[in-house]
Amino acid sequence: MTHPAGSLLIAQDLRKTYGPTTALDGAEFSIHPGEVVAVMGPSGSGKSTLLHCLAGIVTPDSGSITYNGREVTSMSDSERSALRRSEFGFVFQFGQLVPELTCVENVALPLRLNGSSRKAAERTALGWMERLEVDDLRKKRPGEVSGGQGQRVAVARALVTDPRVLFADEPTGALDSLNGERVMELLTEAARSTNAAVVLVTHEARVAAYSDREIVVRDGRSRDMERVV
Amino acid sequence: MSVRQWSRDLAMGTRFAFAGGREGWTRALLTAVGVGLGVALLLLTTAIPNALAERDRREEARSDHTFSQQEIPKADDTLLVVDADTTYRDQDVRGRLLEPDGPKAPRPPGVAAFPADGEMVVSPALKELLASDDGKLLRERLPYRISGTIGEQGLVGSQELAFFAGGKGLEQRLEGPASGARIDSFGNDDLGSSDPWDPVLLLLVLVVFVVLLMPVAVFIAAAVRFGGERRDRRLAALRLVGSDSRMTRRIAAGEALAGSVLGLVLGTGFFLLGRQLGASAEVFHVSVFPSYLNPSPLLAALVAVAVPTAAVLVTLFALRGVVIEPLGVVRTAKPARRRLWWRLLLPLGGLAMLYPMIGQGRDQGDFNQYLVVGGVMLLLVGVTALLPWVVETVVARLGSGGVAWQLAVRRLQLSSGAAARMVNGIAVAVAGAIALQMLFAGVEGDYTASSRYDVSRAQMSVEVPEGARTAATIGEYRDTEGVRKVTALSDVYLGDRRDEPDSFAQITVADCASLREVATLPSCRDGDVFAVKGSQYDSESDHLAKPGTTLWADAGDTARSGDREVSWTVPKDIRQAQPREDPTGNERGGILLTPGALPGSLKAHLSTQLFLSLDLSKADAYDHVRNTAARLDPTSQPMTWNSIERNDRYATIRTGLSVGAACVLALIGASLLVSQLEQLRERRKLLSALIAFGTRRRTLSLSVLWQTAIPIGLGLLLAATVGMALGAVLLRMTNMKIRVDWPSVLSMTGIGAAVVLVVTLLSLPPLLKLMRPDGLRTE
Repeated sequence: MTHPAGSLLIAQDLRKTYGPTTALDGAEFSIHPGEVVAVMGPSGSGKSTLLHCLAGIVTPDSGSITYNGREVTSMSDSERSALRRSEFGFVFQFGQLVPELTCVENVALPLRLNGSSRKAAERTALGWMERLEVDDLRKKRPGEVSGGQGQRVAVARALVTDPRVLFADEPTGALDSLNGERVMELLTEAARSTNAAVVLVTHEARVAAYSDREIVVRDGRSRDMERVV
Repeated sequence: MSVRQWSRDLAMGTRFAFAGGREGWTRALLTAVGVGLGVALLLLTTAIPNALAERDRREEARSDHTFSQQEIPKADDTLLVVDADTTYRDQDVRGRLLEPDGPKAPRPPGVAAFPADGEMVVSPALKELLASDDGKLLRERLPYRISGTIGEQGLVGSQELAFFAGGKGLEQRLEGPASGARIDSFGNDDLGSSDPWDPVLLLLVLVVFVVLLMPVAVFIAAAVRFGGERRDRRLAALRLVGSDSRMTRRIAAGEALAGSVLGLVLGTGFFLLGRQLGASAEVFHVSVFPSYLNPSPLLAALVAVAVPTAAVLVTLFALRGVVIEPLGVVRTAKPARRRLWWRLLLPLGGLAMLYPMIGQGRDQGDFNQYLVVGGVMLLLVGVTALLPWVVETVVARLGSGGVAWQLAVRRLQLSSGAAARMVNGIAVAVAGAIALQMLFAGVEGDYTASSRYDVSRAQMSVEVPEGARTAATIGEYRDTEGVRKVTALSDVYLGDRRDEPDSFAQITVADCASLREVATLPSCRDGDVFAVKGSQYDSESDHLAKPGTTLWADAGDTARSGDREVSWTVPKDIRQAQPREDPTGNERGGILLTPGALPGSLKAHLSTQLFLSLDLSKADAYDHVRNTAARLDPTSQPMTWNSIERNDRYATIRTGLSVGAACVLALIGASLLVSQLEQLRERRKLLSALIAFGTRRRTLSLSVLWQTAIPIGLGLLLAATVGMALGAVLLRMTNMKIRVDWPSVLSMTGIGAAVVLVVTLLSLPPLLKLMRPDGLRTE
């Protein structure tokens, strides 16, 4: 796989094993600013591990990950945490909202972790909630909203820090098709409006259709897919 | 609803309790160990009254004291018994010298044959001690050949030190100061089981039991809720495949039942194990035989029924706030606001039950045990009822702060009940302990008193055996290892008339150095006589110590001087001396004589007491003195002085409380740790997600600390309030002035806080482990 010039995030020859299981076996990846890339593959193929490695959540056994010219694999844990806090955003399959915080507090949480005051953080958070059409849920707790609404709150939380890369791991996996499509529309629209790159892990072709490019991971190896329109 | 359906659901719950591989078994085992520890403690409690009764029964069966005024004549079936009790280091040794009058003399329980003169039968513990290096000094004191062992029937505890030694000529000893009697049987039905308990001490015992057992009950309730969230999810899956809400509750009940029944089995095992181990242990100088520790069948049956029932009820009560739907568990989104009124009813009810007991005191009659136990229980249960309301009300008003604070406060606002449950046990234990410490501090003066002995001047006293040569005896003690100084004071009382005297003067005879221990003398040399005036309790010396007054020895004592009347005339050159407290704390009055002024005829009337000043840096100084005393007279009872005298029962109860409280707090700390770890495991994925988007570990650790610190702070505050209220009521019940014992309040709350701090620190390593981002992996 070649890595075009101007890529924001590049991974080369990534290898990762968990005990006897090989999760990544020489995987490659690259993404440009504002690009939406879908990472597809069957369950257990290594796509989530690829996402975790790209985001600096998991350190690969070998290989290189470059973000904006900086080598992620050689960063310390606290440097990677700071990178995730300021440059990256995350959406997980089940939202992973903090159940005890209200929706607006959940969305404001990354800003507060970056040191913003509560009021300023919640003001910004509310703006994002409006864009994702969930501002009426601001005082509700995650347990009081539907799955689709919760996932939109999670998307707002991922975008609130204006990340340069948004990592979405099966963001619609727990939603019905109608809700899933709405979440994807809002997620890709919002990302494009801020020129954020989106790494979208999914096994659904319907979801992958929102991407600009698709990569298939199988047995820990990745390859670009030609889009058939 | 058929019984079959019920049993099927319960059986399914039982299967679930142990299903789920290693994790399932671990959870079931944790619950069972928790319940088991509680059950073992409950069984032990139910066995204690039996154990104490059995000890009393055996003590009675071996009683060799007769309270009859009639002397038993010597016969074939009588036995002479003389006390030879002694103390070795801080352990009491029960000793008796025996001399059968004939072949039918009664044998003490547990003794197969009378030891011959120069032999003894000993308890197994004493045999072991004498054979060990530790018992070398005692071996010198008991120079008898061991001819047998005392059986269990003759002992009150497995670790009791006791001996029966054969003696000769004991009748002569009985004429002296030795304590003993001629008996025709052992055991005394008139003796009663023991002294009746002081109502205040009884109150203390009752409250100690309630205070120690209440947290155990709270602990059992917490133990059956281990793994509750996982169980709820499992029940949701069952709903999905068609189980209705009643069925799920029955299945949950089955799970709880299985855990608690396993807990009962383990608890019985722990108890039996503890019973065997108990035989080799001695607590506060009280040991028991395993056979003593038999729980009363009724109480044991009550435990067997109450624990599983409580487990099921607690589970069903816990499910009250949870809606289990086929697509998952929904904690009731907006739980009904906790109401204060019924929560207040419990402590108020407790106070109402205790109110009639106020002012009863020890002089106004006994306390009603049921009202006391019920009142204290209600007050302590009130803590567990009030705490969720307090936590909910306070955390609802807590303002915003940093992220760690916000995460903690929001979590507490969402599940204040769980947080309150976590600290309930500690709060109950601390509340009870504060109340008891207040009561102890209040009544301490009644049970501990300054002994008046001046232990800086002497630490032991001993009587010179009758018939022994005083000078030689003093020499023996002077030569004893560890004895620094011997003060010998001999005295006799002389009356103002030959027959039926009206008043007496105490005549003290000693050398000048010894006399200076009891009076301030102007100057002194052998042959001097002094009159001590103005001493406490002495109003008669003034007229008796006049020069020329003739004083008479007690006519009853004439036998000792060969039926001759003994008189002494106060010399003309008698001088004045000022009284001074002697080492026993008393001021002597009367007349002081140096040996040169003592007429020979009075010598036989003197009894001599020695005050011994010891070099306490010498190991076993006390026991060297006891050995000398035993060598001179095996029945002698040297006295060891203490500056404080403490009622034995009071001291035992207080030490028992400290040890019990430590055990209960450790038990609760363990349960707190388990539930803390369980909660963290449940939140593993969320913690990983928070780390994934860059949350600092410090922030999450701090948040966990706040989550524990806030409820424990509130819990301890409530516990201190309830504890002080209960303490005040208990003090009023005993007619004592209400005084808050702040050191106890602070130390008990401090101990409670320390337990929580330790638990939080212990849970940090697993928390840091769970905060790894790879917790997001699902495959």
